[in-house]
Amino acid sequence: MTYQFQKITVLIVEDNQPMLDITRALLNVFGVGQVIGAAHGDAGYKKFCEYNPDLVIADWMMKPMDGISFTRLVRNDAASPNPYVPIILMTGFSEKRRVLQARDAGVTEFLAKPFSARDLYKRLVQVIERPRQFVRSPDFFGPDRRRRRATSDFTGPFRRENDTQAGMSLIQPLMEQDIRNREAESHAILDKLRRQAGLGKGDKIDIRPEDIDWV
Amino acid sequence: MGMSENENDGNIRHFNRQPVRKAEFIMPPNTLKAKVGSGGLAEEILSKAELLLEKNTADFLPLADMYLNSLQKGMDQARDTDTSALDESGNESVIAAMLYPAMQLKANGGMFRYPMVTRIADRLIQFLEVIHKADLDALEIVMAFHATIRAVVLGRIMGDGGRQGADLIAALDDACHRYFERNPNMKTGIEHHYVDSL
Repeated sequence: MTYQFQKITVLIVEDNQPMLDITRALLNVFGVGQVIGAAHGDAGYKKFCEYNPDLVIADWMMKPMDGISFTRLVRNDAASPNPYVPIILMTGFSEKRRVLQARDAGVTEFLAKPFSARDLYKRLVQVIERPRQFVRSPDFFGPDRRRRRATSDFTGPFRRENDTQAGMSLIQPLMEQDIRNREAESHAILDKLRRQAGLGKGDKIDIRPEDIDWV
Repeated sequence: MGMSENENDGNIRHFNRQPVRKAEFIMPPNTLKAKVGSGGLAEEILSKAELLLEKNTADFLPLADMYLNSLQKGMDQARDTDTSALDESGNESVIAAMLYPAMQLKANGGMFRYPMVTRIADRLIQFLEVIHKADLDALEIVMAFHATIRAVVLGRIMGDGGRQGADLIAALDDACHRYFERNPNMKTGIEHHYVDSL
């Protein structure tokens, strides 16, 4: 049994036509039944109201309306047909403060560009298998911003009722690959630091706390 | 002591009092899951999708040209502005005019088989994210990035650039380090990537 993507409609809001074409082509390969495209947030919201898609993938930087304003409209506008729809925001930004800004607008997941087909798939699996609960407070409506990373050695109870074993088994290999990538990246940085400092492989790097920019 | 998370420019949230209206938590029905079911996608479909990206024949040049021109405009604007007379938000606007096209180059390079453009533009973003104003010294660095990216695109260097590519990036890194050595008051540090950690 595999995902029946042919049953869903996805809206892509992206002002860069070649990028929209690529994303659409990937979703078609995944078997998505209907893919709607829009060139900016304003047009995207009209299409959203018209088609009421099951999932939205939006770019951040667009004119006249960007992905953040579009997300706010979807979440808060009285005419929105589904304020709970999962929204995946595509962006080249990955700095923490910018990610937080987008998250506070009500985005469900991020997809950092450039991305691979597996990156896109991983985000789809996240929104399907681990949907966020929503929070309504006086100053915010949107997906709960406090999701924490599940680790591969987590043996305790699942955090949510919908954290099924089947769902976790899909996500876990992707997360483990992530961890391996991060480890490789860290080793590369350490090697570079060693080279710059003229140190050998076994030499200890003397880093003082004040050398590190904690973010 | 630094500002706490609840403070914002001296504006203390809720005047240090507990909010009286509690947040409401809602778990909407998972209609997406109900429609697609379980089981994920077969490995062969994912491989086919990866292949589609690898074989993507869309021409990156027109896009790159558009973003490089936009970056050039941002640089021209910075050069024509007396950044020392601007306040923080004015300087942010000047930097943003260069940062956004840099972000687009980073985002699109790798999608259109120019991973080196992504790597160089990423370094440029790291630089622009930690400077406070685009003075002439900083602009020189941005110009070097701009020229390098243009050379990569015009030279149609689609791979990682090999040894020469690594040397180019190392040279740009060194230029940034030298800038911060000359301007020790500018914040420096490695901005880690957080997208996946949230």
